Amino acid sequence: MSAAALAALPLQTHQRLRRLLACGDPVVTFRRIVAGERPIGGVDDRVWHAWRDVAGLDDVVAQRCAEHGISVVSTADDSYPTALAGDPDVPAVLFFRGDLSALRRRRVGVIGTRTASLSGRNFARSLGRDLAMNGVAVVSGLARGIDVHAHRGACDGEGGAAVAVVASGLDVVYPPEHGLDFDAVAAHGVLLSEAPPGTPPETHRFPLRNRILAALSEVLVVVESRTRGGSMITVREAMKRDVTVMAVPGSPHAPVSDGTNALLKDGCGPVTDVVDVLVALGLNSGAFRRGADTREPPTAAEREVFVACGTRAVTVDEIVMVLGLPAFDVGVLLGRLELKGWVQQVNGWWEALT
Amino acid sequence: MYAAVSSSTLHGVFGAAITVEVHIGNGLPGFSIVGQPDEACRESRDRVRAALLCTGHEWPNRRITVNLSGEGEKKGGATADLAIAVGLLVASGKIEQRAIDDLAFVAELGLDGSLRATTGIAPLAFAAGSGSVVVPMESIAEAHLAVGPRAIGASTLREVCRALVDGEPWPEGHECRVESPEESLPDMADVLGQPHARFAMEVAAAGFHHVLMVGPPGAGKSMLARRMPGILPPLSPREAFESAMVRSAAGLRSSAHASPVPPFRAPHHTSTTVSVVGGGSPVRPGEISLAHNGVLFLDEMGEFAPSLLDALRQPLEEGEVRVARARGSVTLPARFLLIGASNPCPCANEQVTSCTCTPQMRHRYMRRFSGPLVDRFDIRINLTRPRLNEMIALEPGEPSEDIARRVASARAVALGRQGVPNAMLPPHLIERHAPLTERARAVIEERLARGDLTARGYHRIRRVARTIADLRGEHEPVDDDHVSCAIGMRAELANR
Repeated sequence: MSAAALAALPLQTHQRLRRLLACGDPVVTFRRIVAGERPIGGVDDRVWHAWRDVAGLDDVVAQRCAEHGISVVSTADDSYPTALAGDPDVPAVLFFRGDLSALRRRRVGVIGTRTASLSGRNFARSLGRDLAMNGVAVVSGLARGIDVHAHRGACDGEGGAAVAVVASGLDVVYPPEHGLDFDAVAAHGVLLSEAPPGTPPETHRFPLRNRILAALSEVLVVVESRTRGGSMITVREAMKRDVTVMAVPGSPHAPVSDGTNALLKDGCGPVTDVVDVLVALGLNSGAFRRGADTREPPTAAEREVFVACGTRAVTVDEIVMVLGLPAFDVGVLLGRLELKGWVQQVNGWWEALT
Repeated sequence: MYAAVSSSTLHGVFGAAITVEVHIGNGLPGFSIVGQPDEACRESRDRVRAALLCTGHEWPNRRITVNLSGEGEKKGGATADLAIAVGLLVASGKIEQRAIDDLAFVAELGLDGSLRATTGIAPLAFAAGSGSVVVPMESIAEAHLAVGPRAIGASTLREVCRALVDGEPWPEGHECRVESPEESLPDMADVLGQPHARFAMEVAAAGFHHVLMVGPPGAGKSMLARRMPGILPPLSPREAFESAMVRSAAGLRSSAHASPVPPFRAPHHTSTTVSVVGGGSPVRPGEISLAHNGVLFLDEMGEFAPSLLDALRQPLEEGEVRVARARGSVTLPARFLLIGASNPCPCANEQVTSCTCTPQMRHRYMRRFSGPLVDRFDIRINLTRPRLNEMIALEPGEPSEDIARRVASARAVALGRQGVPNAMLPPHLIERHAPLTERARAVIEERLARGDLTARGYHRIRRVARTIADLRGEHEPVDDDHVSCAIGMRAELANR
């Protein structure tokens, strides 16, 4: 737990934390800091001033971790995930919820913009599910848009695993509406963060988080991205680490696909199907499992409505006018389809889930 | 020496009876009004003096004291002018006290002695005691609405004197019969297409559910909203009376008749909070009180001042506005059906997918009326701009008359069952009046488990499902189809 306390020191950076841990036993190091001994060079006066009053910090962090079911692992531990151990910019201390063994699977990063299109979100979800069905862990950042949908897919898929790396402390749910997704990922895999509990989602932590995403991915799939943004930072980090980057092609007219289309022009492999990713991982192509639909099949009337939803978000009015059925009937059928999981309603727009 | 004359004063939309006491005594000549008069009331002296002189009376050059006696609050307005003038004439012996014992006087005086119309004649006359009420001839229709044949119209102070002194008959009240003019309401038949939106409006009208419309400009949001009064059940005589009283108190004299058509008010988004909610000094009813028993339509809801939208929450909850003042509070009626309309986001693009706004922009836009206010909406309608070729091909929609018939019978069922429209069904009575079948319960439980429904949303869904069942004539109990359909109309802004 003392490693956790070192990670929680004020003004801590991941480089400085690494140097502190290199000094030897973290318990001794922490005790020396409390006693007022400068443990290493490179702790300048400003930082040292901030560390004056840290007695008891180890207990505070330990208690917070215990409260939220958070465990800690550091590079000194045998259980530190091998997937990260060799990284040039290794996170010295990791806080996690869930099961670290998820990191021993094959791992594919599925990332993309937070302002994703409907088809992008749906693709991320089905890709996440299909990867999970084939035993591959889906690595992403639990952000809005593509990230969370990839994770939702991974949690849906039977036998898969989800690996999420978030920028805030694990007890700080960001974005706030993803509370359920945090829990689902912890239950279906592992939820990781470099930041000690209680850390707010500060802007500078996101690029750092992205480097861990890149380091954990064997193949990185960008579903949708503009030409700039967090996804592109992850892509650069992945290229530094020789991780295969793949991209999902999009319409040349869609601004959300500008970044991915540019990656394709630069020579990244295109992804239109889970098979593309599995082949890039070097998995035997004969034995792919595809997400068999576990949803209850729609009745004939429901199928008509489902087909009428088409491939974009529609209002009930549009369906009613296409089918010529009474508004009440269409409303009922949509409600039933939503319950069975064939369509979903987002802010009054209905979309078919393929 | 002394006279007591009945009159009334306006508090918000309700009148309050007052007695105007006039005393003429010895001492330094002067004139004072006591009994918490407001500024307009204080100016009465000059109007009354001129009116008396113009009518050929003398102004008694003695010490005159006028007391406005009534319940505590400040007496406002010029409506006591006539009563003061009559009181002076009685106190100086020109008129006998006996002649005015059964009368109340509610009118402002002009300098020439004419009786002028003021705002709120209907509630003023209503409150002014059990005898006949003398009002300005122009306002006789309004007064007639409130007190029927007890209303007496007069155009000048001279006419009043003739009747009181010489016993001449009061002038004939012309246009006493208040005919509500034949109103041509916009018809739902004009709305082409948009079948689901029409259905949602029907459900909203039947259950008195608040509606949130989201759609790009030109999708027909205000067109639909303006047709709501045509499909709502006609007002009961009592409701029509209430609404007419509010209109009178707000000074909308031309429409101060008891029309059975539910009112429709659409304040612009630049309106001030006081003009919408009511208030000011003296307290005047705002748009939401004018929409009492009818429809309040807020177009471009996100553009209204956030403080204004916040101020709507209490009236939405309680059906009335309480305007508190240091000297006491005034209660204004405000039970209305709220229709809010908004663009989906600042860019107002047709499709969620072609929207160019960042989530932050959308969030900020929606947050302006999110939270507690959006919780009041039971139904959400999403609209798209109809394409021109579709519009040409479409048949006219079902006329309002047919829809209104279904709405009226569904409302009658609800009122017969629980005494209030479904939207106002209190949570503890939902189980009794809107029981669920096993299948319906299973659907709701699954939705709750999946996080599609919040606890607050749960009650709304049950009320809307009840209304849908009533509309379809399937009264007992609420089935899974009704619940599924209601869930599809839910108004949640959660952005997943």
